[in-house]
Amino acid sequence: MDDLYLDNIDEFVNDQNKIVTYKWLSLTLGVHVNLAKQMLYHYLDQKRKEGSARLHATYLVSGKFVENGTTSHKVSVVREDQLEDAKSKMSLTVSVHVYSVQKAVLKDSGPLYSADYDAVKENLRNCSRYSAIRCADAVPRSSAEVQQACETTQAPPPETEQIKANHSNLASKPTPKQPKGIMGMFATKNVSQNQDSSKEIKLEQKEDAPVVATSKTKPAAKTNPVSNFFAKQAAKKPDKSIKEEVEIAQTSSSVDEKPSSPPPKAETPVKEELAKDAVVEKDIRSKTKRLEHSDSEEEKNDSQRKKRRRIKKPEPDSSDDEVIPDSPPQLQEKRDPSPSPEIQVKKEPVAVSHSDELSACKRRKRRRVLKSRTFVDDEGCIVTEKGYESESYSETEDDFKTSKPTPKNPKPSTGKKEEKKSKKAAAACNKSTKQASIMGFFQKK
Amino acid sequence: MTTLTRQDLNFGQVVADILCEFLEVAIHLILYVREVYPSGIFQKRKKYNVPVQMSCHPELNQYIHDTLHCVKPLIEKNDAEKVVVVIMDKEHHPVERFVFEISQPPLLSISSDTLLSHVEQLLRAVILKISVCDALLENNPPGCTFTVLVHTREAATRNMEKVQVIKDFPWIVADEQEVHMQEPRLIPLKTMTSDIVKMQLYVEERAQKAS
Repeated sequence: MDDLYLDNIDEFVNDQNKIVTYKWLSLTLGVHVNLAKQMLYHYLDQKRKEGSARLHATYLVSGKFVENGTTSHKVSVVREDQLEDAKSKMSLTVSVHVYSVQKAVLKDSGPLYSADYDAVKENLRNCSRYSAIRCADAVPRSSAEVQQACETTQAPPPETEQIKANHSNLASKPTPKQPKGIMGMFATKNVSQNQDSSKEIKLEQKEDAPVVATSKTKPAAKTNPVSNFFAKQAAKKPDKSIKEEVEIAQTSSSVDEKPSSPPPKAETPVKEELAKDAVVEKDIRSKTKRLEHSDSEEEKNDSQRKKRRRIKKPEPDSSDDEVIPDSPPQLQEKRDPSPSPEIQVKKEPVAVSHSDELSACKRRKRRRVLKSRTFVDDEGCIVTEKGYESESYSETEDDFKTSKPTPKNPKPSTGKKEEKKSKKAAAACNKSTKQASIMGFFQKK
Repeated sequence: MTTLTRQDLNFGQVVADILCEFLEVAIHLILYVREVYPSGIFQKRKKYNVPVQMSCHPELNQYIHDTLHCVKPLIEKNDAEKVVVVIMDKEHHPVERFVFEISQPPLLSISSDTLLSHVEQLLRAVILKISVCDALLENNPPGCTFTVLVHTREAATRNMEKVQVIKDFPWIVADEQEVHMQEPRLIPLKTMTSDIVKMQLYVEERAQKAS
């Protein structure tokens, strides 16, 4: 192996000021990833010996990590100054190798993802050509198999709908569908293939950076979202443990303050589900720099939702609103489960009244809306907080427009009773004042 | 294959929208990378399919938003030659200037379906370059502030004064002190050329930052 590659890397790093990751290098030079890692290491070594350039490197560390008695396999990307710290925290270090070399001190992990983006996108079909991770069973599905899979996933949701209507949980439709699919993938594959399968999911979903923090407790964690739909709020602990590490006020406050409300997982979009389940129970207090996977996913989805909302609703809306219809449909007829985009555009009277047409009964509902409040606190600092506030609304245009955010209702147990009472009361009075809708013809049974 | 001229305002608006969105992301990123504000106010968001850092502070966001809102009509008419983000030290002397030179070809042609994804790719590359620019620049002294200057072609600002785009957000002619920098060093960052816009990004840095 001649030393030409050293000049190449030198050119990339110093002249072009690129972030050279091992994956990018292997795709650019057409070599196996392990060779690329060695190249980077030699280059770094040589430059350090010469003492010439100010180079910075990031490393990928993976190994066994024990936290609160649970052992997990943790993979993380850390800066050089945090490397020893990360290694010492692991009970057994399985592998350490150079992840990237660059001139700049990276303050966060975002650019690492962008650095590979184009190269990976170009080679999407064969991005694992030079990869060291192999699974003989991992073969792309034929289109017939893909169609079959779509049909089978469409069949279970009608069943789960019935069950949901009976329990006091209401979740968005795609959520039960996806965990089943993903759970199936994890059920059949070995635990040792976790990284491979999670990588495949990532590629399919075009999600975040390929380096993720995985966990052996992942399969166990995955059963929880699905079992939560069938169990009565009993399993709050796995919920909390996964939620705790997400530094988002909305989820933690909802878990803390409203224990009897539907699991917060219900409201989060599907992608976040996948991302969360793929992320290890991480220790926020740890100093290792990690790709803040769940954080970014949440924010991404927030901004995505914001984007979607803006297209449909031209009025400026600065608050992050999430609708969680937290009362079950008491009526017997099958209520059309509104998919997540529809839930997010809750303010569209059209969308809401469409689903209501079937019920033909104007109900008054309380819903929890995620609002962000900006205020000046004691020290004179401007603080923006996101929190759930109860808001009552009924599924008619008139009432909707006049609804204002009511004061936060911290008592969920009474909240539910109120909903039912107000619903029935509203139903009674609304029937008399509102014009009968077209479905009134079919109403009286 | 359609060829549009400048008079076709719809397309001009599209280009202006793209550029203003990009400038917003770029300004936030510059503030993050150059540590003008503490990194705590920034959160990761997604743009062009990659993570970027955007600020959460409402007043800062509003300021940047209003600034770009006023710049947009200039870009639409191709009157904006340069948009400059100036970072100044405590004495309001410029320390760094991030210059976005924008030029739009007079005949815009929408030649392919992949035009927008191509533009997205180029903008992504510019964002990446901003993220690693701290390798090429010296550290700034503490307590820096920033401002946005727009260099226009000819006399476009006279029209701007007549029509105030946003009330209570006036634009004034910049002081000599803010525009000129002592002993500037030029560091090119990125050039992008596409069918709809050509942009150059370079940094002018003062040779001695710590005063």
